Amino acid sequence: MTAYGVPFGVRISDCGLWAQIEPLLLPGWAVASTSYVEQMFSLVVVDGGYELFRGADRIAAHDDLHLVLDALKSEVRLWVAEHSPQHVFVHAGVVEWHGRAIIVPGRSYSGKSTLVSELLKAGATYYSDEFAILDDEGRVHPFALPLSIRQVGETASTPALASAFGAPTGREPIPVGAVAVARYRKGAHWRPRRMSRGEGALALMANTVSARRSPTHALATLRTAVASAVVLKGTRGEAPATASQLIEQSERAS
Amino acid sequence: MTRSAEIFIPVVRTADLGVEELDGEVLVYDLERHKAHCLNGASASIWHAVDGERSVRAIAQQLPDTPEAVDAEAIVWHALAQLDERHLLLTPLPDDAPTAGGLASSRRDLLKKAALVGALGLAIPVVRTIVAPDAAQAATCKEPGMACASSAQCCSGLCLGSNVCA
Repeated sequence: MTAYGVPFGVRISDCGLWAQIEPLLLPGWAVASTSYVEQMFSLVVVDGGYELFRGADRIAAHDDLHLVLDALKSEVRLWVAEHSPQHVFVHAGVVEWHGRAIIVPGRSYSGKSTLVSELLKAGATYYSDEFAILDDEGRVHPFALPLSIRQVGETASTPALASAFGAPTGREPIPVGAVAVARYRKGAHWRPRRMSRGEGALALMANTVSARRSPTHALATLRTAVASAVVLKGTRGEAPATASQLIEQSERAS
Repeated sequence: MTRSAEIFIPVVRTADLGVEELDGEVLVYDLERHKAHCLNGASASIWHAVDGERSVRAIAQQLPDTPEAVDAEAIVWHALAQLDERHLLLTPLPDDAPTAGGLASSRRDLLKKAALVGALGLAIPVVRTIVAPDAAQAATCKEPGMACASSAQCCSGLCLGSNVCA
């Protein structure tokens, strides 16, 4: 199969598992026209459990199928995100507002999904709560898997469709309108500073999966992506208030 | 060996760097150290002016929009110290460089002087730096203590034998 220009394979010793694996793969994956793969992932049913291999390396073994499937999902996504020759994957939430993307880069547990869900409630169109996928022209492609929403104080997340927030899902690549570098602090108010576009590119680079593997490609793509974007940085408080302010600010700046 | 600031001719590194320009700023990726830098407009001007032939004084004379009362050479030294600290200069700074007191004090001095002559809008050279993340650091991951089956699932990049993220 292939996704984002990366040919890879998934091999399973029990065909009955395919129905559970398929929904975990990246959106837009397709059957490859050749049998060449850059990486093969193998899920093997063994006595008392499951083993996961990347190439010849055993990378996971457990009797809990869900845990091993989750590992397979992480491994495949990470591999594709790091090796895509056509796209740059930035860990970020993305919504569309008036034809342009608002990108919220950040690490896991930084509150991206919560902020994205509030932006959707405020009328934005959903693109992603995991990756901003940028092409060579700097446009953002949708990666519209269900949002992973965590309740306050919980580490596990539950999936939620964008439609649950009354939001449509984007289909077309769009240019970047705003990059919001927001760090959550309880009780804070979102009064961001406007940063330079170079600093915006740097903030995206800090969350780019292929930053070390293909740095020159990543840097050139990020430079193009932020070339007409406004870059905002600050500490934010609760997501609902931040979302409406962010929409206002990105509208004013465009 | 003591090198003299008077005759010092800086040379910027060009090998193993990826460079992009944007709105008068320069983005530099250090392929050896996996660090990305953003040179603001003031430091980018100096980066471009450092050609391996000009002294600090000659570079200072070419700086755009520097009020006469401001010590343009101090601005150049401040930029060079930041580039040197980030391994972006081929020529180490001389021992008698005016930034020997450290970057913070050099920046403080510049701001003080600018304030004295009313040049508050003076562009101070700034180089911002990040360490490029490993792939796993820039992907969705689990916090320490959460159940895992492979290291790619963990923010730490390590799933322990007890199947919890380190």
